[in-house]
Amino acid sequence: MYEAVHAYPDGESTVARLAKTAAEYGFEGVVVRNHTTDRAAYDADRISEAYGIDVVAGVEIRADDPQQASGAVGNHRPETTIVAVEGGTTALNRFAVENEKVDVLAGPMTAQGDFNHVLANAAVDNGVRIEFDLSQVLRASGGRRVRAIQSLRKLHEIVDYYDTPYVVSGVPTSHLELRGPRELRAVGEQIGLSTAFVEDGLAEWGCLADRNRRVRSDSFIEPGVEHGRYDDDG
Amino acid sequence: MGIESWPDATIDRRAFQRELWYAGQNLLGDPGSGAADLTVIRFTFAGGEGEAIVRVRHGEGEPARAALACIDSVDGEPIGLRVRGTSGTIRAASEKYLGRRGQGFEKRNVVFDNVERVAVVRNESVDVRLDGTFVGATDLD
Repeated sequence: MYEAVHAYPDGESTVARLAKTAAEYGFEGVVVRNHTTDRAAYDADRISEAYGIDVVAGVEIRADDPQQASGAVGNHRPETTIVAVEGGTTALNRFAVENEKVDVLAGPMTAQGDFNHVLANAAVDNGVRIEFDLSQVLRASGGRRVRAIQSLRKLHEIVDYYDTPYVVSGVPTSHLELRGPRELRAVGEQIGLSTAFVEDGLAEWGCLADRNRRVRSDSFIEPGVEHGRYDDDG
Repeated sequence: MGIESWPDATIDRRAFQRELWYAGQNLLGDPGSGAADLTVIRFTFAGGEGEAIVRVRHGEGEPARAALACIDSVDGEPIGLRVRGTSGTIRAASEKYLGRRGQGFEKRNVVFDNVERVAVVRNESVDVRLDGTFVGATDLD
């Protein structure tokens, strides 16, 4: 199982510290999902070797509109293993699920974001994973938390019905915000996401990383072989 | 369970118990938290690191684990925590899961982001002081 983290300077702990703690908690890998404006400098191989955990280069694109997001996706796609787009508006959610270069639509239900069957079908067609962001369940309280749980339940109904690919994350921004896989499963269970659902969602980050690395290394081994779309089966 | 925070945090047992009850009530509701019990039996915390035993009614382990996972801070201090394991008796739990604290910590000057900083070093973990806050790092950084 993998967790997708915001590391220093986008968060309060470095990639190394998050990886070290995640390894102690039983994760097999971390995806560094720093926003484009706060990229982290780190040596993934060295960290991976020291703590025995996979470190995946990712990015989370925060954009004001689809046009800006599109440019950022184009810029980051070539050298990044996992490309996520931060959702939260109808336009950005729509952009993300309709773009096969995007791996993950992060936080589709935050801010003014919403999700429906049209977006779910587009996500299926383009192999875009919908994120179940548990950060508000873990760290917010009161009405905000209630609304977050409501949105996650709604998202779950849609994703479940249309068999949309998805990922699950607690979105930690420090080693203190990290929670172990068993803890995340237990929390999921309380808000109506089954343990198997959460487990698959955490594992999906790893599957995505594997697939994207394979796609990239294949093209490296056989130059001249043309690649079409990615496989959607992950 | 193991508990972690920044080096300057002070957390006492009473505050931790209070947060645990709140977390239980907020996530599980009154019936759920009543069923789970959630009583702090042992608690130690010093220098940003601690451990605790929490008693939970038999069969309520998973809801209790969920409630624990949702404690994100105690007295305004952010905390990380992890359930190390569960046991049928307090004695078995303390023998199996307590006493894992490291060899203590020391203050050291380190270079982080090319600037010399004061840091608290514990095992391979390094908490770097940065203008009134901390950054969690390791000896690799």
